[in-house]
Amino acid sequence: MKEIGKSTTILAVVTLIASLLLASIYALTKDRIAFLESEKEKNALAVVLPGFTIVETRTKDDSSQYWVAEKKSKNGETIKGYAFISEASGYSGTIRCMIGVDHSLTILGISILQQTETPGLGARSVEIASKYTFWDVITGSAKDEGEQLPWFQKQFQQLSGSDPISIVKKGDWNQNMADELRETNSVSAITGATITTKAIVTCIEKGLNEYSAIINE
Amino acid sequence: MSVKKEFFKGLVDKNPVMVLGIGLCPALAVTTSVSNALWMMLATTFVLTCSNILVSLVKNIIPAHVRIPVFITIIATFVTVVEIVLKAYQPEVYTSLGIFIPLIVVNCMILGRAEEFASRNGVFMSIVDALGMGIGFGLTLTVLAFFRETLGANKLFGYTLIPGFEPAGIMTVAPGAFITLGLMLWAMNSIMTSRKKH
Repeated sequence: MKEIGKSTTILAVVTLIASLLLASIYALTKDRIAFLESEKEKNALAVVLPGFTIVETRTKDDSSQYWVAEKKSKNGETIKGYAFISEASGYSGTIRCMIGVDHSLTILGISILQQTETPGLGARSVEIASKYTFWDVITGSAKDEGEQLPWFQKQFQQLSGSDPISIVKKGDWNQNMADELRETNSVSAITGATITTKAIVTCIEKGLNEYSAIINE
Repeated sequence: MSVKKEFFKGLVDKNPVMVLGIGLCPALAVTTSVSNALWMMLATTFVLTCSNILVSLVKNIIPAHVRIPVFITIIATFVTVVEIVLKAYQPEVYTSLGIFIPLIVVNCMILGRAEEFASRNGVFMSIVDALGMGIGFGLTLTVLAFFRETLGANKLFGYTLIPGFEPAGIMTVAPGAFITLGLMLWAMNSIMTSRKKH
């Protein structure tokens, strides 16, 4: 009996110390983590609604958030844009992306907020390919590349959200195939990560289905 | 017991991945890029050193039959610390290592060192052991990642090596990792055997 009492006390003390340590680390970092999260959301909004100003943050009946934005077009008209978040399961875990559309459901941009896909394959959906080589970096001829968008996310811009988006296997996206893809309302899949590509397309279509009624109002 | 010997055993004679065959899961999973491997080395070595210090300090007051839960609690605490700190200050690393940060808890190298070394030796020697093992583990990962990143993605630290060259995609997936590790084990074993003969 004495043995059990001693062991229990020791285990309790150890877990208590561990909890106290973790609680204090959490308290120290929680503001910074929350700040990073809000920055991420702000950046994502700027990507999916380029040139727009957010005028309203609304809540749908199932308490999910969406954003309404406005932009002045060249001939002085006000164009409305909408951004919302949608989820779908990818190859390994949930993929969350933010989608920006205008009133006619043309996709203005997408931004993948969260994904846990395989590095080097599905995770390339969020990777920005550097246009510089390793040797440029060593010799110092590489300059700052500034803000860029991963090619995978870029190719969704200007696609029609009211028609189904098809997937073609053409390898990495480049400017030469842009027009052809846009005409056929399709995207080029990431090599070796068709499941991830499908999941992201599903995520977008699901989101559009959910929000098209609200946008058409 | 010399400091030098305890440190270098982790790099060569008792290299966790190449000789003991432990910690293979992260070794195969995160080695798609050299920077991932280096961050994994840093995270694992930190957890290993902290847990070795603590286990060595408490080894005499913990009854033998509850030592495993205590060790696991200590390891899990430090892993969570690493996870939170990375999330707050290195969000990109946190995203790219993903699930393999919390999985450091079940890296048998860490529990193995607590059980085999830290619970039988003093604090200083435990630190030396942890550093040697952590660096030995990390160097193996870095070499593995070097071959996989250069051959599989034609990149190093995320930058293209030879423009226009089509890389061997198999190197970025699991079979490539197994093949590379197998070749590394072969090379290491043949060097070790030829050294013993002389």
